Amino acid sequence: MRRAVATVVAAVLGAGTLGIGGLALGPAPAGGVEEPAARAKPAYAETRTLQRVFVRPDGSRQEFPAYDVTVTADQTTELRGRQRIRITWSGAQPSGGRASNPYGESGLAQEYPVVIMQCRGVDDPGPGEEQLRPETCWTASVAQRSQITRGNAESTWRHDLDADEADKVRVSGLDPLPSAEVCPSADLGDFSTRLTPFVAASGRTFPACQSDQMPPEAAVGAAFPPAELAAFTDLEGNGEVQFEVRSDVENESLGCNHEVACSVVVIPIVGLSCDAPSSPPSTGDQACRRTGRFTPGSGNFAGNGVDQAVSPGLWWSPSNWRHRFSIPISFGLPPDTCDVLDPRPPTGFYGTELLAQAALQWAPAYCLRKDRFKFQHNQMSDEAGFALMESGGGPAALVSSGHEQTGPDPVGYAPTAVTGFAVAYVADKPDNAGEVSTLRLTPRLVAKLLTQSYLGSDLGRGHPGIGDNPLSIIQDPEFVELNPGLPQINQEAGATLLSLSNESDVIHQLTEWVVADKDARDFIAGEADPWGMVVNPNYRDLQLPATSIPLLDDYVPETGNTCRQQNPAVYFNQLAAPVTALRKVSEAILDAHPNVQTRCEFEPDTGLFRIGRVPRQSFGARFMLGVVSLGDAARFGLRTAALQAEPGSFVSPDAASLAAAVQLMEPQGPTQPFVLDQQAVRRSTQAYPGTMVVYTAARMRNLSKADAATVAQFIRIATSDGQRQGPGNGELPAGFLPLRSSGPTAPLLAAARQTADAVAAQTPPAGSTPEEEGSEGPDPAGGGTSGGASGPAGPLDVPAAELPGEADEPASAPVTDPVEAGTEPVAMPATTPISSRVAGMLLPLLFLGGLLGTLVVATGRFFVRPPRAGLGR
Amino acid sequence: MTMTEPASASPGPAAPAGPVTGAAPVAAPGPTRAARRLTKPPRRVSLRRVSLRRDRTGPRPPRPLPTGAQAATQSAAFMLAVVCLWVFVQLLLLGDLKHERSQDLLYDQFRTDVASATAPVGPVVPVGEPVALLRVPAIDLEQVVVEGTASGDLRAGPGHQRNTVLPGQDGTAVVMGRAATYGGPFSRITELQPGDVIEVVIAQGTREFRVLGVRRTGDPLPQPRTAGVARLVLASAEGEGRLGGLTPGEAVYVDAEAQEAFPAPPGRPGAVPAAEQVLAGETAVLPLLATCLTALVLATLTIISARQRWSTVQVWLLAAPVVAALAWATTEVLVRLLPNVM
Repeated sequence: MRRAVATVVAAVLGAGTLGIGGLALGPAPAGGVEEPAARAKPAYAETRTLQRVFVRPDGSRQEFPAYDVTVTADQTTELRGRQRIRITWSGAQPSGGRASNPYGESGLAQEYPVVIMQCRGVDDPGPGEEQLRPETCWTASVAQRSQITRGNAESTWRHDLDADEADKVRVSGLDPLPSAEVCPSADLGDFSTRLTPFVAASGRTFPACQSDQMPPEAAVGAAFPPAELAAFTDLEGNGEVQFEVRSDVENESLGCNHEVACSVVVIPIVGLSCDAPSSPPSTGDQACRRTGRFTPGSGNFAGNGVDQAVSPGLWWSPSNWRHRFSIPISFGLPPDTCDVLDPRPPTGFYGTELLAQAALQWAPAYCLRKDRFKFQHNQMSDEAGFALMESGGGPAALVSSGHEQTGPDPVGYAPTAVTGFAVAYVADKPDNAGEVSTLRLTPRLVAKLLTQSYLGSDLGRGHPGIGDNPLSIIQDPEFVELNPGLPQINQEAGATLLSLSNESDVIHQLTEWVVADKDARDFIAGEADPWGMVVNPNYRDLQLPATSIPLLDDYVPETGNTCRQQNPAVYFNQLAAPVTALRKVSEAILDAHPNVQTRCEFEPDTGLFRIGRVPRQSFGARFMLGVVSLGDAARFGLRTAALQAEPGSFVSPDAASLAAAVQLMEPQGPTQPFVLDQQAVRRSTQAYPGTMVVYTAARMRNLSKADAATVAQFIRIATSDGQRQGPGNGELPAGFLPLRSSGPTAPLLAAARQTADAVAAQTPPAGSTPEEEGSEGPDPAGGGTSGGASGPAGPLDVPAAELPGEADEPASAPVTDPVEAGTEPVAMPATTPISSRVAGMLLPLLFLGGLLGTLVVATGRFFVRPPRAGLGR
Repeated sequence: MTMTEPASASPGPAAPAGPVTGAAPVAAPGPTRAARRLTKPPRRVSLRRVSLRRDRTGPRPPRPLPTGAQAATQSAAFMLAVVCLWVFVQLLLLGDLKHERSQDLLYDQFRTDVASATAPVGPVVPVGEPVALLRVPAIDLEQVVVEGTASGDLRAGPGHQRNTVLPGQDGTAVVMGRAATYGGPFSRITELQPGDVIEVVIAQGTREFRVLGVRRTGDPLPQPRTAGVARLVLASAEGEGRLGGLTPGEAVYVDAEAQEAFPAPPGRPGAVPAAEQVLAGETAVLPLLATCLTALVLATLTIISARQRWSTVQVWLLAAPVVAALAWATTEVLVRLLPNVM
């Protein structure tokens, strides 16, 4: 029977994986886009019948209505740490007493929720796999797994119909029971205690009787917020969550990785089944038969007590535990696989973070094959990566737009991946009605955020010139009109768009989209919007598009707050607090932890006031916005805002909208980048404005033979094998649009192949670079001999041409083989002419000038003499 | 260049301003001083200008001072002479003094550094620090090499181009030096013959280079360096013809090799600013130059107003050192604007 179920699961799973493969942006930027209809078959789906049973004193069974619950999950294989998978269920018992925050300990005070947690091991383990048990399931707090010193009314697990006699004794769970030193409160008087210890991957058992007997990752204030939750089922019996899985990188004690099988366990709580009561029924018997004190759909924001028999706290009790759906999940290779398994030195490609998620999956497909090189993606700003590539510091750069060529060698661009950026958000509807699922943004709204024109809080009211502006985008009438149904309680995080502090092509394209809009341009130029909001005067006439957003404000609020008086700081900059990587933005949104640095408090240890980051936003009142990459948004299941294309139409990132934008891109010549004109986007109703192409940029001349072969190999593999969609090694993750030989991406693919050939042959195709004539000579600035400062004349070329022996790159042009250089002379280029007329003529001219001046003075003094005034007297 | 104007303005044709305004001493200290000043200016002219041929027949009536176009020509010519000669003198004589003094100090610092094993080995050394000692017996050259090849750095002595290894390390090192100005340490490197010895001391020890040859525009670059060999390129400039020593307008290089090299630390910068290339000047000093000129103008105005109140001797006693120092400093800044190896 079990085998059959496993086979069915495997088949469903396989089909699901294929389904993902066929799906463009798949489960990805998902969030906002409504797609259940378009969704292919889920990776996991199972239906089970759950029923609560009471045994009457006479031994007959009193059966409750049965629930046919179906649980699905959208991805189960090749998961990465912190990835979020979508779990849906239907047919479950409606929940009551909804908590404001379902995660971790705060989700316990609910009735009939669906407990979802991550556990090590699987049901029906194969060889080398562990059996799933409550002891291997992760919870972030003691209260979620152990019941300590409970009275009779709160020890309902002792009356569980399915429990063994050993589990019904007063103190159970761990045999032998830990000593009183370890667990002082476990065994007290008449009270009942049930421990659900945690067995770590290392084999160590944590008794879980108090918080210091928990694994280190469950410490108070741990790095990651709890992922397990007790989710709410609506009145129709349906529910849905994005469940974050943790690998052993995030949670070593749980220890899930590509070798250790794990499961996501979903337990819809229908209530404990109770054994035959004593006569007369004891307090415990009555408590076990409780059916909840909250009506379905009601809220329990005050955190009042609930009936234990229908609460999520007893998920481990056998009659609940046997109702579990265990979704087997498997993890992909960890990010450091290549460092561990491949001793070869890596070949670093430098540049944009947009490719990060793809590189994570691509890298093992290179380093684990001996016929390929060891690919390493080093994230840095596009500009820095490009400069490094031009100077020979890296074989190739990964950039997402054309860059000005500064070196003498022509640079070819090969389209490698189509992705882009998104404005991701996390926002809760008022009254705990769930998450906001669509958000629309106009260029002017983004312009308001970027120019720090919202006040944040009353502290910003004193800012000269903009004291009447809304406090945050949440209260901006333009935003409210566009996105009705959002809460309007101000938050400081709503005054800013968390973005990058360093230069990036992403910011350039974002600002390009902003200024393509006349309303946004007018706003930045100082014109008030229809509701009277004006731009921050420090940002008036800000030059956009730009590759970074400067922090220009200088307003330090005057306040009576002692802490702020002792730490005077520019308030708006504390609100903006940009970060250095898009990944940090993604994680901030994932945790709903804004990077707003306005917390100002007294530190008792040092006796000083200090400024810091605000705490995580509380569930139910979350609101923050940030610029993220589409790859991250898909991986972490972030919701993404729809951006305005044609005025009035808002486009979310998905496969179709990326393809529509690619269709608008104009090629700039062979081996040159494509350009997306934002004006063209504004005439389209389908094109996503944040679509970007990541290019592999490499020199098409003077690249060493080995590097040229490596780069060409990368481009060819990345645009063929690397465009197969899926979560596995070498495949293209969600959030990317695959390049295909037909359809809108065909020109990109053709361009990539052409550039790969040009780089491999080290001969740029004709007409590929406009400045090719200028770069023909060894030194483009060689002609600048007039004038004192004769420009960057070529002396740098002198050592550069001679350096080759030291790096193992061959010399500039025609060097045949460095090894034989000693025996057979090679033809060397001629010394570059460098001269300076100033240097040549200055000294004689100075001397002549001095001589001339002296002569004239002397002549005037001694030969052209006016008559003496007094001679006539 | 008009920056030395104040130094010459007062003793020159500007003198007549004295009597004219002095004749109406509105806020003069007292009647006696006013009276003295009325008679003084003519005498001052004759004393200062014509003192060599002071007449023996007693005082003669003063010669009227030139006016109009002639006065303008005279002033302009005087200014031209003073400015040109001052810069000329600074480049060749005062600069030499400064170079000698810098070398003395650098030598002391470098030998202490080497002895106490704190001398830099790269890859990044603060600009202006001594990094090597260069000895070329054939042309009687001994110079401490400083880090950096901008025009300002080369005033102290030969400079090491910052994106190359130190001389003697595994790689190609470039050392630039001035050919004519500021002591012209590299004025004679074109006389080197293949096989001549260049001895270099750096923190890691001493290496003897053998000259490969002198290389000018159009000559082929030397053969690619084999690994493990240290190469040194001396870069300077030279002129042509009889005045060759004063017209260093063409870049010239001397290549040399040492067969054994010290290991070179990794992490050198990939490029240096344009101002550190051969025959480049530092345009970045223009604001500083403007500041210096402003200071000179202020000094001029101060002197002019001071002369309304005090005697010439007093004013010049106080002003001369200030003006000379300002003029020197200004010219030093001006030199940084000029090509670095001239």
